Amino acid sequence: MSGKFDIVGLVRKVIFSDFARGLAITLKYNVSRSITLKYPDDEKWVPYVRFRGAHTLNRDPSGKELCVACELCAKACPTKCITVIPEEDDTGRGIADRVAKVWKVDLVRCMFCGFCEDACPTRAIRLGREYELACTDISSTVRFKDALLKPQPIHEGIAGGVVAKARFEKTEAGIRVVADTGIIKKRAL
Amino acid sequence: MPDVTTLIEVLLIVIKVVVIAMILFSLPMPLTWLERKVAGHIQVRLGPWRVGPHGILQAVADAIKLMLKEDITPDKADKFLFRLAPLLALVPAFAVFVTIPFGESISIPFIERDVTLYIADMNVGILYILAIAGLGIYGVILGGWASNSKYSLLGALRSSAQMISYEIAISFAAIGVVMIANSLSLVDIVGAQSGSILNWNILYLPVGPVWFAIFLIASLAEINRIPFDLPEDEGTLGAGFHTEYSGMRFSLFMLAEYVAMVTVSILCVLLFFGGWNAPFDMPLPIPPIPAIFWFIGKVSAFIYFFMWLRFTLPRYRYDQLMTLGWKVLIPISLVNILVTGYMRI
Repeated sequence: MSGKFDIVGLVRKVIFSDFARGLAITLKYNVSRSITLKYPDDEKWVPYVRFRGAHTLNRDPSGKELCVACELCAKACPTKCITVIPEEDDTGRGIADRVAKVWKVDLVRCMFCGFCEDACPTRAIRLGREYELACTDISSTVRFKDALLKPQPIHEGIAGGVVAKARFEKTEAGIRVVADTGIIKKRAL
Repeated sequence: MPDVTTLIEVLLIVIKVVVIAMILFSLPMPLTWLERKVAGHIQVRLGPWRVGPHGILQAVADAIKLMLKEDITPDKADKFLFRLAPLLALVPAFAVFVTIPFGESISIPFIERDVTLYIADMNVGILYILAIAGLGIYGVILGGWASNSKYSLLGALRSSAQMISYEIAISFAAIGVVMIANSLSLVDIVGAQSGSILNWNILYLPVGPVWFAIFLIASLAEINRIPFDLPEDEGTLGAGFHTEYSGMRFSLFMLAEYVAMVTVSILCVLLFFGGWNAPFDMPLPIPPIPAIFWFIGKVSAFIYFFMWLRFTLPRYRYDQLMTLGWKVLIPISLVNILVTGYMRI
């Protein structure tokens, strides 16, 4: 206790004002809403459109593959996880005569930077909104063209950034958590 | 051959003991659930959620887990003391309840008798509680010593130093209340606070609030709760004195800890907040709230307060703890004794 005698500080100490302030803060949090998502059996987070999840390959409105196998995505990829092998095909499968024979991405090496999206001249490749990528088998982390061309469970038109009602769906591959975008609620995260 | 009245008298006491023991044994289950819920919501989480609605059966699941767990006794431990220590911690925590009153008396409808809501109204009630509660420290010290582990021993040493320092302050606070109430019996102490909220010891100005602050701080240290939980300081001591305990023996320590928290809440209510007395007379049209509900409500508020405090404050450093005990609480107690004595002349 050196220096000037601090009467205000002493009074504060005696009436425990610091403690009261701390207690008021924790009480405020105690009665506030919790931010926990009841994932997976009740709620599931639907990401924004800008979210970069697993890759998808898109088709044009008439159903033709947009990918022209230019291999720019493979060139742009910093981790070299995309493999493209082009082939000649004039049956109208793609928007051009050149289509991808093999298009595969190794999601273990991918770092979801989105450079492939930027490099793509036809906007064929997009990073989608699927984020449940955990698996028990390393071979299933490599995704091929057939799987990537399938339509997305969450439509591109949905803005995202909401919490949706979730339900379990049993498939051959295992149990998946499916977000029901019909029942959504906004929640500050 | 004793007559019927004596037999009923004895029977009533046995029933009361059994009921209180049952309540005390089952009380930690809702309390652990509540504590985890409070912790969760203060940290903007949900707390237990999966087992039963709002996780209410979580405590049952935990109890089953603790019972099924392997009960390990370390190879180099002192086997006898290691087994004795949890019991030494538990028995005083329960024995305290012999003299704690929960209300004055109620009449049981069928046997046409008035039954007092306490086992014994000792004329030295508060003294008995302080003496018995002080014995609980042996469980902690012996548990830490018998484990033959450095963490346990350090935890036990801290615990003994802490409990001895703060027992002085807690006794002074009790003496202050005794001086105000002119009695050592808890029933009389509560009786002296009847009437209105102005008669409660917390409002016996200017010394009442000071006694209450001393009692609250010292008893928090006595029951090893945050901010004074140095004996089981997770960050530096593993788990403190019960590092080596597992399964049922560990849960006996936890049981003792929760019962001690209930005891301290009850003592705060009895000594400072008027016990089972209503704070003010109810307006006539409403039927009066029974005294036992006032009592339970006040005790619950205190239990919540202790949990709230736990998730607000950080842990004190060891030297700060000792400084607070010896250099702050005890001198204030001594001054306060003088002031109280002057006011009671």
